[in-house]
Order: sequence, then structure tokens, then C-alpha cells
Amino acid sequence: MSERIYEILFIADPNLGEPEVDALAAQVQGFVELAGGKLQKLEKWGKKRLAYSVRRHHEGSYVLLAVEGGGGLIKEVERRLKVTDGIIRFLTVRVDEELRKAERRKAQRALGEEKRKGRPSATPHATEGVQQ
Amino acid sequence: MNGGGGFGRPGGRSGGGAGAKRDGAGAKDGGGKRYFFRRRKVCKFCADKIDYVDYKDVKLISQFVPERGKILPRRMFGTCAEHQRKLTEAIKRARQIALLPYAAD
Repeated sequence: MSERIYEILFIADPNLGEPEVDALAAQVQGFVELAGGKLQKLEKWGKKRLAYSVRRHHEGSYVLLAVEGGGGLIKEVERRLKVTDGIIRFLTVRVDEELRKAERRKAQRALGEEKRKGRPSATPHATEGVQQ
Repeated sequence: MNGGGGFGRPGGRSGGGAGAKRDGAGAKDGGGKRYFFRRRKVCKFCADKIDYVDYKDVKLISQFVPERGKILPRRMFGTCAEHQRKLTEAIKRARQIALLPYAAD
């Protein structure tokens, strides 16, 4: 079975500058690789307003990572995220199953569409509620 | 006529189920005298073919969350049960990471 895919989204302290956030992202990437995971994606969203205050901050820099690995990897990475200064909040979500489901759904729909095209007379008649 | 109406159904699987509901809408409330027509709400996620409700997509999710930050019942937006479940999950995740409020003051 293929490995799981997780998304790690964390919020960095807004007082950190751009290069410091970059360094933080690289640090987290280091955690992942150290624990035997593979980085798939690294996305920086920049500074955003928080919906509520987190550790007395009203904004923060969001960084998103997509990571391939097992459950042990997440345990280790989360432990490290918790003790890392400059990270005020993080969230890890397993996404592979959901994405796979969505993919399958999409494929099925494409298949259905093709069928419909091949048989144009199959449009269902709407039975009108009008009675004379 | 009898061929078309009945025939299309068995072929269309889960996707066809959503469309089938439309037929029933015309006959709804048939007994009573109703002078107003309530427009039938259609699940936006089904209409736009969104399979994965992403918690990161604040723009999309916030359409379904009022100012106060509450999750509203699905009768408000007409989302189907499946997508309402996914939406709820997405909203809760977005809250955890401060993309959406738990409760606005």
C-alpha cells in the first residue's frame, strides 16, 4: 500500500520577517525528512488575518506542506512543531483517502457523461404536475 | 413517454439520484393551496461538481458560514446531506487553524 499523504498547515509568528519564515519552513521540512517523510509541496500564503486571536496575535504567516509518510512520521513532526518557537498554531490533516475518493467520483462522472453522449435520447422526461 | 422516464433511472447511478429529485418537486405540496412558490434550492457543491470540500478554501466555505460563524442547518443553503457533512468537517478544520471564527463577538 502506498504511503499516506498529510497536509501540515502552520501559522508562523507575524513578527517574523520573510527570510525567517522561509527558515522556519525549511526547518519543518527538515523535521519531515529526518523522520523519513517525503515533501510533496511547500506553499507560502503570506501574512493573513486570523479569525480570532491566537497567542495574542491577530495575524500570522501561513505555510502549507504536503507530506508523504506514515503515522509515526506525523507523531514525530507534531511533537517537534509543538516545541518550535515561532509557530503559533498548526494543523495536520490526512488527505489521501478523501482525495482518492474525489478522484474516483470524478472519473465515474466522466464515464457517465460519455454514456449519455452516446445515447442522446436518454434524457428523462419531467412529468409535469399539470392535470387537465 | 413511458419509455424515457423509467428507462433513464437504472442506468444512472449515484450521480443520477440527485437529478431524480427534480421530478418530485413539481408535485410537492400538491394537496394544499399554496400561492407562493419556493424556489428549489440545489446543492451548490453538486451543481459545481466539487467532490472535495477543502478546508483551505475560505472563499468557498465562507459562503456557507454567516457573519457570526455558526454552521447553519442545511435547509438554509439546500446542500445535500453528503456535502453538508463534508462542509461541516471543513468548517471545523478551518476554525482550528483560525481561518474561520468559532464565534464572532
